Amino acid sequence: MAIILVEQLAKTYRFYRKEPGLRGSLRGLIHRKMLETKAVNDLSFTVEQGEIVGFLGPNGAGKTTTLKLLCGLLYPSSGRATVLGYTPHRREHAYLRQIALVMGQKNMLWWDIPAMETLLMHKEIYRLSAVDFKRTVDELADILEVAQLLRVQVRKLSLGERMKLELLFALVHRPQILFLDEPTIGLDVVAQQRVRDFLRTLNREHGTTILLTSHYMDDIEALCPRVMVIDHGQLQFDGKLSMLVEGIAPYKLLTAIFADPVEAAVVATTVPGLKVLPTDDPRRLGLHVPRTEVAEVAGRLLRLGNVVDLSITEVPVEDIIRQVFSAPTASKEQM
Amino acid sequence: MPRLIWRCVAMNVMLTIEYRGEFVIRMINTLAGPLISLLVWLTVSEQGVHLPYDRDQFITYYLLLSLVSMLTATWLGGYLAATIRQGDLSPWLLRPAPYIVNQIGNNIGEKLIKLVFLCPMVGLVAVFFRASLPTDPRAWLLFALSLPLAASVAFLLDFVIGSLAFWVQDVWGLIRVKELVGGFLAGQWVPLALFPARFRGLLQIQPFRYTLSFPLEVLTGHLTPAALTYGFAWQVGYCVLLWACYRIIWRYGLRAYAATGA
Repeated sequence: MAIILVEQLAKTYRFYRKEPGLRGSLRGLIHRKMLETKAVNDLSFTVEQGEIVGFLGPNGAGKTTTLKLLCGLLYPSSGRATVLGYTPHRREHAYLRQIALVMGQKNMLWWDIPAMETLLMHKEIYRLSAVDFKRTVDELADILEVAQLLRVQVRKLSLGERMKLELLFALVHRPQILFLDEPTIGLDVVAQQRVRDFLRTLNREHGTTILLTSHYMDDIEALCPRVMVIDHGQLQFDGKLSMLVEGIAPYKLLTAIFADPVEAAVVATTVPGLKVLPTDDPRRLGLHVPRTEVAEVAGRLLRLGNVVDLSITEVPVEDIIRQVFSAPTASKEQM
Repeated sequence: MPRLIWRCVAMNVMLTIEYRGEFVIRMINTLAGPLISLLVWLTVSEQGVHLPYDRDQFITYYLLLSLVSMLTATWLGGYLAATIRQGDLSPWLLRPAPYIVNQIGNNIGEKLIKLVFLCPMVGLVAVFFRASLPTDPRAWLLFALSLPLAASVAFLLDFVIGSLAFWVQDVWGLIRVKELVGGFLAGQWVPLALFPARFRGLLQIQPFRYTLSFPLEVLTGHLTPAALTYGFAWQVGYCVLLWACYRIIWRYGLRAYAATGA
């Protein structure tokens, strides 16, 4: 069942253009030019209950604005969004009780007092019973391994510890939908992995629907069976990550390491027409091989002899996404 | 809601305790202004100038002024404007509770701690000047009624001005003007009773009187029953008007909120 319905949603920001320097400032007193930016433009999609969806896009693509629109922080300029049957920008309390937003770059916890105090405030805001509150906090603190941190001043915690507490804080009222904006930004690899594991568990065991934006492809790969690519405020792709990868890169990465250096001429004769990747090691050969020819090309390389290692992998998703973001809009529309 | 407000108050008490040193200094400052004014007026009075207040009334007015000005003070306008402009309102907008609750908690929480520091200081000054405070329980009762109303008028006025940041880039100028003109019109430096008679009508209806001067006038017994009724009606009226302004501004302001930042 679709719990998020977005139809032709648009958000336009208006701001004044200011010319540089003193003259520009003085001129701005008399004549100011209004500029408009379409942060989200004609966006339509649906999300089913229990899905984990990743938003991908370069900076300024409209990902965070979309999340803010769905949370009710922003009024849409046009179009319609319905989440759990509610119109987000009306910010009805019954709606706000069922969602949570975690912003990797904004603190929800009070800085100067222990996190438990902010949690107790949340208990009152969401009118949680003492029993439910204790059970949820204990359970989340146990999974996130933060039980010892709840009574420490937030400002004395590391970034990773704070982020885990932010997650706990956002989930203490058991939201049905969790919006995550860059939840692992600034965390080390161990902390990133823990957050990912936790989100996966949350989705699996509680059926929480998760929408997340991240610049870390590892987050998207590990968590999101479905991705939406947004650029210039428009939806460029909506589907499985594997489909996106295959659409952009209809080839695999084949890497062979030989016992002795291989001549370029030999490679050209053995695997004609294939893209050879640059390398500093003359014994190493990297190729982009069409998916249907992988077995045959691997066989030909093995017949050359002296192959000590051979691997066939997908092209790193990071590279794919870089390719998507740097391509002109027209080519993206063909994805 | 009362439980939530109490929780916010408790959190702000904890925060204030964290910065207790700073608040002691602030309270010395709160007492210093009225004390200087008191010394000036006592000197003027001793020169034989005829004034509507006698020595004891001046002492009562300025001693209680330091307490009342602290209890009715607000400081949220600038913070609220910055919160709106920098997008820091977002975490609160996601919660099923009005943001104003947080500010009410902050206001009451800080004042509870400030009261602990200020009361002994005022007590010492009262002993030094041999102050004789009013003894009429009815006056104290009416004072106790007008004090929260005064704090509400001041709070809502500041909240409304700070909320203009939904549309205006910089409201600090407006806040400064309010502090300067408002302090003067509230009787912060000169009791309103000492103003020329021709200004009295205007002074009685302007909102700043009801943020500071009115509770003191109630306590010092300068008001007739009719003036008391009239004053309370204005106080309640300003509360209702400013509350309506707050609701309207937030209703439309949130549409303009850009949730800047992450």
